[in-house]
Amino acid sequence: MSHSAPTLPPGLPLPAAANRRRTRRADAWLPYLLSLPALLVCIGILVPFVTALWYSLQRYNLAMPFTRGFIGLEHYQEFLSDPAFWNTLRVSAVFTLATVGVELLLGLGIALLLWRRSRVNDAAAVVLLLPLMTAPALASLMWKLMTNPGFGVLAWAAAQVGAGDFRWASAPSSAMFTVVLVDVWVYTPFMVILLLAGLRSLPPQPFEAARLDGVPAHFVLLRITLPMLAPFLLTATLFRTLDSIQQFDIVYAMTQGGPGDALMVFQVQAYLEFFQYTNVGRSAALLVVLWAVTYALSRLFIRHWMRLRQGGRAHG
Amino acid sequence: MSAAEGLLIRGLTAAFGKREVLRGVDLAVAPGETVVLFGPSGVGKTVLLRAVAGLERAGGEVSVAGREVSGLPPEARGLGMAFQNFALYPHLPARENIASPLRARRLPEAEIARRVGAIAALLRIGHVLDHAPRELSNGQKQRTALARALAAEPRALLLDDPLRNVDAKLRYEMRLELPRLLARSGAAAIYVTQDYREAMALGQRVAVLLDGRIVQDAPPEEVYDQPATVEVARLFGDPPINLLSAESLPGGRLRAAGLEVPLPDSLRALPPDAQLGLRPEHLSLLPSPAPGAAPASVVAVTPLHERQVVLLRTASGEELVASLAGAAPPVGAAVWAAAEPGHALLFAGGQRIAHGAGREVAAA
Amino acid sequence: MADLVLRVLRGLALALVLVFFLFPIVWILLMSFQTNETILRLPPSLAFDPTLANYKALLTGTMETSSGTLQVTFLRNLGNSVLLASLSVGLSLLLGVPAAYAFARFRFRLGEDIAFTLLSFRFAPPLLVLLPLSLYFNELGLADTYAGLIWVYQLICLPLVLWIVRSHFEEAGVEVENAYRLDGHSWWAGFRKVAIPLAMPGIAAAGLLAFIFAWNNFVFALILASADKQPVTVGALAFVTASGIQYGQIAAAIVLSILPTLALALYAQRWLVEGLSLGAVKG
Repeated sequence: MSHSAPTLPPGLPLPAAANRRRTRRADAWLPYLLSLPALLVCIGILVPFVTALWYSLQRYNLAMPFTRGFIGLEHYQEFLSDPAFWNTLRVSAVFTLATVGVELLLGLGIALLLWRRSRVNDAAAVVLLLPLMTAPALASLMWKLMTNPGFGVLAWAAAQVGAGDFRWASAPSSAMFTVVLVDVWVYTPFMVILLLAGLRSLPPQPFEAARLDGVPAHFVLLRITLPMLAPFLLTATLFRTLDSIQQFDIVYAMTQGGPGDALMVFQVQAYLEFFQYTNVGRSAALLVVLWAVTYALSRLFIRHWMRLRQGGRAHG
Repeated sequence: MSAAEGLLIRGLTAAFGKREVLRGVDLAVAPGETVVLFGPSGVGKTVLLRAVAGLERAGGEVSVAGREVSGLPPEARGLGMAFQNFALYPHLPARENIASPLRARRLPEAEIARRVGAIAALLRIGHVLDHAPRELSNGQKQRTALARALAAEPRALLLDDPLRNVDAKLRYEMRLELPRLLARSGAAAIYVTQDYREAMALGQRVAVLLDGRIVQDAPPEEVYDQPATVEVARLFGDPPINLLSAESLPGGRLRAAGLEVPLPDSLRALPPDAQLGLRPEHLSLLPSPAPGAAPASVVAVTPLHERQVVLLRTASGEELVASLAGAAPPVGAAVWAAAEPGHALLFAGGQRIAHGAGREVAAA
Repeated sequence: MADLVLRVLRGLALALVLVFFLFPIVWILLMSFQTNETILRLPPSLAFDPTLANYKALLTGTMETSSGTLQVTFLRNLGNSVLLASLSVGLSLLLGVPAAYAFARFRFRLGEDIAFTLLSFRFAPPLLVLLPLSLYFNELGLADTYAGLIWVYQLICLPLVLWIVRSHFEEAGVEVENAYRLDGHSWWAGFRKVAIPLAMPGIAAAGLLAFIFAWNNFVFALILASADKQPVTVGALAFVTASGIQYGQIAAAIVLSILPTLALALYAQRWLVEGLSLGAVKG
């Protein structure tokens, strides 16, 4: 071999790492080592979860520990003939349908309103973040102050339009309306920013083509916009449904499930079962029922979510 | 200097699940030598480099300067590598990018500065050392990546198609500059490319990787003139080689697509699946009939690299490609295509069985 | 003409939307600067002399009422919120960033399982886990500690950190880290000097969002925190009961409680969409 002599003699010392006696084999353990803490958190979730499943099969009242014992599916069987359970189911369903329905329609409308980028629209989108970032429990307090019959601005406004006897969250007939209103205030912005992100990610060509062809606006909305937005509508709706069906903060802070049992949604009911009636078994059984519902929904959601995420990466 | 002091690869195997990508690759590179690893995309060239670098799980042995490194993590192998997409550290200025391997070797600060300055001057990027990678042109990024690979004077260098993502002018310049730079580094270098021109320009040797093995390991001219297999012949050259099924004629001759050439002396008869390989530049076009020439008509003419590439259709219906140094006949013209027998290649079962068919006869 | 009508209608709709979503915040803000006297005046009026008395009472910890001087523990709630949210986020970054890295870089069964367990429990009823935990906490002696709460807050923070930071590690790509290792640096050096700096925007976003979510959480602390460890969300509710008709101070307490998250949200708005949808929708 005849080459011009290298300017600098080859062979600097090897990297310090070369002297360590670690082989590639050690790399194989790395992922497990790194995810160990996360695994611990998982176990921290799964242990109480399994415990809850176990409690739900027991007669277990904190006030009467001596009566504790395995009773199989008895709690679940009781539910079938228990009007309180059916009320909880009904109230949860009404609350979920009302909130998700209103938030979806309102959110879609606002997202369409803010679709075009402009300084005003972008500023409005930022303002909409504020309710969403307000702690729901604190938002409920704000609305409680506003609907206070003594000095609440909304109570006063209702009186001005001749509805002075509208008692907001403190009457069974209007409590649902009021709590839904607060939920709508807090969570509609979630719909808006998700759908807005969706709208703004749509390719402009179909809309330009429709404009050139003079397609009427409502036709564009129904036949182009909504179908293209469908994956985002589905994400937002599933997300909100999963949250709404388990709503606790707003209901608890506003009415604690009342007046009477007008707002006895699942988690509030379970909370009261546990802390008021110390009935651990029954409370756990209620939560397991709720979990079964959310689990089925979340399977649906996670599958859809994976597709979106992968689709997004393929495009990105 | 022998390959034992350079880079030695023995029986390298790699698989993705059930798919074997490398099925026992042997390759020896002497210090100061550059071996071009050539093959079509997806054949596993990058996998081979990554396996040598320790980034890919692999079987077999790799030694660098006499030190066995298989089984060691990448950082302990002491190699330099340039990546196809440069892989510069976006958050560090060019200077720190280049200094990175020196820092890993715990050199004193003054020594690092001196060496970075020297290699940057060599690659003519001294004026952009304080720029972040995103502020560099593609060419400067490329040079920075090379400087980083060379900075610690590794005994072995792995270059993964480093000119893939730079423009044509720069590629041309670097092709001229790189051989000198690599020889001067004294490293045993493997240079991956799928561009046969680059392989011709850079390598003292070309190793052709196909189907998980090195099917030919030879100087570039030899790979071009005497490809080991049909596949190598097809891949190494542009426009691609003409491959025609051949049959033997009485009198020690063979015929393919109407062309006739003498049968090589080493062969008594042709196997039934024989193919004649003819590089486009080894076909000449005659205005009138000649012995052994095939009548054909000109279908299309395309200029390519100062030559004229002519697509022909023979009377028997086959397509031939010729590459002419001079003027080409007009489209539609009737011509007679003749082969230069000295450059004819014969393949059977995909393997080359003879080359330079009837060289003596042609010379006579 | 029809165009003009449409534009006016759009403007009107937008104004209505903004009033609906902004009004409660503005009204509470105004309320917090008023004395009870002006608050109770009907009809409500914007004409009042702003006073800082409500904030002063909250910050000094004593409240003058008609029935005497009350001790206000609200400042302690605020401190608890800061402590719980920031330590929880700190811990979740410490635990979550390496795990997110592992999930992004290595395809391994356990990683997928962890990621999906955490994701599916993001959608499970929190009480299902919290109620048994409250019993365990009593047994383990965690019931009255910040440590126990911070541990449980990982349920809120960790999934966020995992999913957001993971996608940023994935986007940064593995090649630069490979280059760094080939330079002769250990895996650990590459993780610190290359992977982390490149994923920093994602880590910052995840941290901010996790902070907001931890701060805003109500049910975890309601069930697990003793009175002196309660954050503002739970404390404000108790404060309402305790302070009776001190509406100005309640309003001021609410303002102080929502201010940090609103400020952070405005700061982190770019990443909110991605974080809220766990990366399903890019902002």
